[in-house]
Amino acid sequence: MLLAQVIVGGLLLGAIYALFSAGLTLIWGMMNFINFAHGEFVMLGMYVALLTVLWVHGGPAVFTLAAALLLFLAGVVVYFALVRHVLRGPMLAQILSTFGLALLLRYTAFWIFSANVVSLPQTSLSGVVNLGGIFMPLPHLVAGLAAAALTLALHVLLTRTSIGSRLLAVAEDRRAAMLMGIRPDRMQAIAWGLAAGSAGLAGALMATAYPWSPSVGETFVLTAFVVVTLGGFGSVLGAMLAGLIIGIIQALSAFYLGAIYKDVVVYALFVALLWFRPQGLMGKA
Amino acid sequence: MLLEATNISKAFGDFQAVAGADLRVEEGEIVGLIGPNGAGKSTFFNCLAGDLTPTTGRVSFAGAELTHVSAEAHARAGIGRTFQVPATFEDMTVFENVMVGAFLRHSRRDDARDRTLSVLDMTGLQQFADQPARRLGTPGRKRLEIARVLATEPRLMLLDEALAGLTPAEIQQAIALVRAIHASGVTLVIVEHIMEVIMTLAVRVVVFNHGRVIARGKPEEVVRDQAVIEAYLGRRHRADAR
Amino acid sequence: MKWASLVLSAALLAYPLLLPDPFYLDVGLSFLLVALSASAWNIVGGYAGQVSVGHGMFFGVGAYAPLLVFNLWGAPPVAGVPLGIIISLILAVGVGTPTFRLQGHYFSMATIAVAELIRILVGTWPLVGAAIGLQGPAVGRAWWDLTFRSELPYYYLFLAVLALLLLITQQVERSRFGYYLRAIKSGERAARSLGVPVQRTKLYALMLSAVFTSLAGSLYAIKTGFVDPESGFGLLISVQMVIIAALGGAGTLYGPLVGALVLIPLQTATNDWLGGGGTGLTYILYGGIIVLLARFEPGGLHELWYAVAPKLKRRLQRKERPHAA
Repeated sequence: MLLAQVIVGGLLLGAIYALFSAGLTLIWGMMNFINFAHGEFVMLGMYVALLTVLWVHGGPAVFTLAAALLLFLAGVVVYFALVRHVLRGPMLAQILSTFGLALLLRYTAFWIFSANVVSLPQTSLSGVVNLGGIFMPLPHLVAGLAAAALTLALHVLLTRTSIGSRLLAVAEDRRAAMLMGIRPDRMQAIAWGLAAGSAGLAGALMATAYPWSPSVGETFVLTAFVVVTLGGFGSVLGAMLAGLIIGIIQALSAFYLGAIYKDVVVYALFVALLWFRPQGLMGKA
Repeated sequence: MLLEATNISKAFGDFQAVAGADLRVEEGEIVGLIGPNGAGKSTFFNCLAGDLTPTTGRVSFAGAELTHVSAEAHARAGIGRTFQVPATFEDMTVFENVMVGAFLRHSRRDDARDRTLSVLDMTGLQQFADQPARRLGTPGRKRLEIARVLATEPRLMLLDEALAGLTPAEIQQAIALVRAIHASGVTLVIVEHIMEVIMTLAVRVVVFNHGRVIARGKPEEVVRDQAVIEAYLGRRHRADAR
Repeated sequence: MKWASLVLSAALLAYPLLLPDPFYLDVGLSFLLVALSASAWNIVGGYAGQVSVGHGMFFGVGAYAPLLVFNLWGAPPVAGVPLGIIISLILAVGVGTPTFRLQGHYFSMATIAVAELIRILVGTWPLVGAAIGLQGPAVGRAWWDLTFRSELPYYYLFLAVLALLLLITQQVERSRFGYYLRAIKSGERAARSLGVPVQRTKLYALMLSAVFTSLAGSLYAIKTGFVDPESGFGLLISVQMVIIAALGGAGTLYGPLVGALVLIPLQTATNDWLGGGGTGLTYILYGGIIVLLARFEPGGLHELWYAVAPKLKRRLQRKERPHAA
């Protein structure tokens, strides 16, 4: 029973991983660009949730929306101010751009919020739910299920709506897309908005269930790297599946080896993936 | 037989870019590869050069099987190629670009330098030697690519639209250069759209359409072939051409 | 630029004699150490264009090895230097082999992941001191323990190693290996078509880089007599290498030195002004500089100089001859 609980917990957290990793893989597939600051978008989403609760006394619906919208905006701004320019440049510039941004965001957050670990004040979602013998804290359950639903929604948005097909068209072939009247620049900005927004949203969801500090961004981005690699370059569906798998693996590692090693196992898995199956579950490396 | 490509097919997912293409090139020939855009010429080319691995078929060069071998190994075996969109090393000078090619056969800097200088001379690029490659215009870059490949001492050179976008005067210069390269003992396979170039240079022509070879033969013959005319101009014009 | 390098060499040699105050000597040592690490990073990150953002893994291994052999077997720390190099080489092969056959991003991601992985593991492993770290000999038992009372011998030791690395880098620049590195950075596909063994070359670059980064770490540990997971494998080490090389000019011989010349005084100043909050703000500053570099001048000060210098020259010439049209 305890094992089942660990696995369910892992699945729920994994769903959140899937949500923020989906954005990373979208950008990667579309622009061949890795956002090293992606973890910071998640972290910022968490703080937006906190500040929304503290200043506006908003409930879960309010603060998750705030995180999603503000980070969407942030993503668009980052695209126009920075990414758009380095996309045409050397690899060094591309990697340094978001790597530097990550440092900037992370340590500015340290400066503003200090290194203290914080958590969201009790919201309407509290208590523990009994799922046939498995006891899950309600926030974890809700956050996980919401994340799963939202990731699915993102996938549907990309594959079944007109804006989604326009985004994918740009990913497939920029010039052809331009000839069809699609504006690649605008689509790429929207992709960045979606990626950052979903990361912020994931952060807000996580904030309801877990404490955090400004340092979490580094761990999140590495987790996202592993999820995205396991899922396959550019595949949102792959990221979904991979997120769940990583969530379970992490939970089991913490359970059997101790909390300190939960990330180590995931990173070691990453190296193993690179050696033996870099294309992941669904993609082409 | 210097190069022999048999039954080459290349599929990208559902899309069949090349299907059952054959090519045989004897040492010393100049063979032209023509066909409308999207006919599969570049894909076939990339299979010959080792940039892509064919889905089916074999490529052999000077008796050695090269089908699944890397692009680097192709170069070492003696196959050189240029790119449709020039891929010169922008951050390096003209001299340095050619040096990279020369180093293939000469590991010592001085030997590579000698080879580089002689290639720059042959291609008329000596006066640009110290200029960064990015300062050259497209014709200069195309010529630099040719020089760079020449420095690797290839037995076979695959030229991918090396003369596209040149002015008539530049085309004449380029043709002269290609002739000189040929005279120095290099076999050539040329992809080209400019019919004048094909007619002047190629001894034999192979025509592609929809990923298949639709005609072969001497340039004059191929140009009058019905299937070829149809491929370029569409069915309607067949009657007019008669 | 020959005279510039002569002046620089003379200045570096004479520095401790001109400014013998321990404070300045310390700054000088910091400068040499980061210049060394950044120059090592430069080989794979600057010349070959393979951006490692976890190079601290090699530095940390190099730092732990000497103190480990001292703590485990009482051996002089110097004996641990080859051990550090060997382990770093194994790491380099382990990280580079799978990633160099894939697109460049995988390598960068792998370097961060592995550096973090090692940092966490080392922090929990009692054998290597866990979170507390390791210490070197408090008092030297013989000269080969290299525990000098004054920092002066360390200065010249670091300088010698830096000079060696720069010499090697210069030789690489002129060699086939060097040309191949730059070709790979400029255009991998074209490089392949010319017979460049891309994967192998990248790996060799990483290995050479790892050796000297490890050496830098070893020198650091021998001089400081202490290392822990943060000072050995922390993110700051990796970030510093990257920013110093990139600021000065990644892929140029003197770029890392120029970067160090600018950044070390800057860092010392910000640490002084801001006291305890220093390191946090240092990171913010570094982050900002890196973003600006990436956005406006990835070629660093070197590129900036060559873009601006001709214009300055013309301006000066015009001033001298105001009558000229």
